[in-house]
Amino acid sequence: MSLAVASSGRRRDAGPPLWLLLAAALPTLLIALPLAYVAARAWSAGLAVAVEEIFRARTAELLVNTVTLAVSVTVLSAVIGVATAWCVERSDLPGLRWWRVIAALPLAVPAFVASFAWASMGAAFQTMGGAILILALSHYPLVYLPVAAALRGMDPGFEDVSRSLGRGPWAAFFSATLPQAWPALGAGSLLVLTHMFAEFGALSLLRVQTFTTAIFDSYELEFDGATAALQSAVLLALALPAALGEMRLRRDMRFARSGKGGRRRAPPARLGRAKAPVLGAMAALAALSLGAPLAMLAYWLLVGRSIGHASHDLWPAVVGTLGLAVPGAIVVTALASPLAIAATRHRGMLSALAEKLPYVVHGLPGLVVALALVFFSIRFFPAAYQTAGLLFAAYAVLFLPLAQSALRASLELAPARLEEVARSLGRGPFGAFAAVTLPNVLPGVGGALALITLELARELTATLMLAPIGVSTLATEVWSQANDGRYAAAAPFAALLVAVSAIPVYVFTRRSLELNDLR
Amino acid sequence: MKNCDRRRFLLAGAGLVGVASARGISPLRAAENETLTLYNGQHAETTAAIVEAFTRETGVRVAIRRGNSAQLANQILEEGDASPADVFYSEEIAPVLTLAARGLLSTANPDTLKQIPPQFAAKDGAWIGVSARCRVVAYNTDMIKLEALPSTVMDFAKPEWRDKVGFVPTSGEFQAQTLTIVKMKGRDAAVAWLKGLKDNGRIYNGNVAAVQGVQRGEVPVALVNNYYWFRVAEEIGDDKMKCQLYYIGHKDPGALLTLSPAGILKSSKRQDIAQRFLGFLVSAAGQQALVDAVAEYPVRPGVTSPYALKPIDELDPPDITPEDIGDADLARALRREAGLA
Repeated sequence: MSLAVASSGRRRDAGPPLWLLLAAALPTLLIALPLAYVAARAWSAGLAVAVEEIFRARTAELLVNTVTLAVSVTVLSAVIGVATAWCVERSDLPGLRWWRVIAALPLAVPAFVASFAWASMGAAFQTMGGAILILALSHYPLVYLPVAAALRGMDPGFEDVSRSLGRGPWAAFFSATLPQAWPALGAGSLLVLTHMFAEFGALSLLRVQTFTTAIFDSYELEFDGATAALQSAVLLALALPAALGEMRLRRDMRFARSGKGGRRRAPPARLGRAKAPVLGAMAALAALSLGAPLAMLAYWLLVGRSIGHASHDLWPAVVGTLGLAVPGAIVVTALASPLAIAATRHRGMLSALAEKLPYVVHGLPGLVVALALVFFSIRFFPAAYQTAGLLFAAYAVLFLPLAQSALRASLELAPARLEEVARSLGRGPFGAFAAVTLPNVLPGVGGALALITLELARELTATLMLAPIGVSTLATEVWSQANDGRYAAAAPFAALLVAVSAIPVYVFTRRSLELNDLR
Repeated sequence: MKNCDRRRFLLAGAGLVGVASARGISPLRAAENETLTLYNGQHAETTAAIVEAFTRETGVRVAIRRGNSAQLANQILEEGDASPADVFYSEEIAPVLTLAARGLLSTANPDTLKQIPPQFAAKDGAWIGVSARCRVVAYNTDMIKLEALPSTVMDFAKPEWRDKVGFVPTSGEFQAQTLTIVKMKGRDAAVAWLKGLKDNGRIYNGNVAAVQGVQRGEVPVALVNNYYWFRVAEEIGDDKMKCQLYYIGHKDPGALLTLSPAGILKSSKRQDIAQRFLGFLVSAAGQQALVDAVAEYPVRPGVTSPYALKPIDELDPPDITPEDIGDADLARALRREAGLA
């Protein structure tokens, strides 16, 4: 292990090459736009207003709500995600292949669809407790997938040693297995946490107020954006320690792995008498996270009278969704690549910061990001305003971290030493990367594309403001019909959105799990 | 096998991108001169009905950007003089009043203004009302009797209504109702009312959700606009409605009549077509298309709605002008004082 640190340390100390710095400058610049916008708007409010705003009882109330919700959902998602990942990867659960995919599928159901289903089942779910449960059910796959991949690729040696030294299975799991999965767990949890900071649609249905819902309210009530900007600044201040904490966790854990060579799969743990309860729990999880929202869609189709109301809009919405989400995902993934490469291959505060900044901005609501891009685009690039290009830039600001996480996971598995061998054989830096590293990280790229496509397909606020005029998507149609109370008319759009999303979820699940598969 | 899968996946992806760009999702060119750009905060179906009638009559195409009214107004403010919008049609009055106050709206043609009663347009003609709607009390007939409902909306802030009243503080019409109370009963009464509702009431984040809350029995009463009842009734069937409407009347703030307005952006380079569109909104054909699509009141005399609306001359709303209830800053200050924002 110490040998690994020594040899890799020398390599990483060489700073990033110029081409990489230049390539990383573009996404960093994009990320800086909403920060500059929030700073400028908050600044224009003046110090007195800022102090009054930040030290109001209302701010404290929102702070408590936001932190309670975000931390609880993150912890609950982590527990469900790790437990599910362990059952699927390390136990002899019957029907493993099915469960692997089923456990990831709730990712295909947009949180606002799930929330709508639960909210209409009763007032009890329209509370903080209900929101925590419902959002954890729809977000745990963000933890489950990376942790399952980590468990699968993990060297079982540590656990064997731990057991041979007399630890029980639980103690060995917590002292030997789980620490190896920390980076995956940390990255997944950070995504859930920042998702919660930015969540709006689901929370407004579940009647919980956080900073993000308050920011939307502020834009309903006032038209100078000062309060909203100050609330956004508080939200950024909340996301910052989370991102830095995860960075520290990752740095500490980076070298705490045994070598990659000669891995073997751990024999599955026997569930024995626990088999039936575990199966029951997995089935209950699927029923709650998938069954409930799908049953609600079916119910509205059966009961509602607006059924088929806007059926001629279905095809344009599918085309609009794919036409924005697929190229958008390619752009976002391309922009994320230099950041991920710089962070995995090179050391230094600059690349670490450039890599973490998107995670901080990920906590901002889409409305603030969209308005920031309106502001900058109309002043400096009027020709780009309300084109697909500008919308893709907004998508990048909103979703870079998702691509970064997926790319980083696979980059870390492609040893830089191979690239050095290629260079010693006469290839240039770019040639060596293209010949050696790129083929190894392609599965990760596929995973990133799938995950981003999924998120873009359901994005609403930025799409409404910045998409080329007249383009509709499944998400804008669901919003529009539900806004009119036509739930049966909205149901086919929502169902199609789930169906369209299930494809990238399936691809992403296969990709992220195969990444570490030995077979 | 695996490689084959991957290739097929990539091909499918490339195919989708191809389809998308062939359908013209690639960056759009500047709109042609005869296309009008409408920023629409009104319910999409309502606007679609009017626009269709307009295009049929004039041949002018209308490109519509949909969105929440307040968000669109914020977007127009950020866009400034470079705004692509020609006309802004808002669901609520406050966003349009804000744009008017900042001098961003052109005056409507006198011919257009003549079509509607003067109380349904801005005094200086910067915007016109397109439809009117009234505040109502939605109540669940299984949970409460009509006779048990108070004669003024002020009473819902009292402790005896604890956990029995739903309200939508983010709705523009709720804001207008609050400002009506300021105008009629003074600022302190309005703050007390908001505080009472905050302590006793149940906050919903949308009017449809509030009406459904009443329908499902989550709460016996909710303060909403009249047309939301018709939306929900249309969806689940009139005969299944446990939720009914109570019109307070007698010039109470609870009987407020409000407008859904439209205005032309000063920055628009298509003022002529924009004026034609505004004129069409209040023409007989435009108003008929509107009232056929939504259960709101026409602003033009002589147009009849197919919905079973309570006749507008029986509503007896308070004597309030749109300008009385347009002060967004005051509304915000009140809400902050009451701890609602």
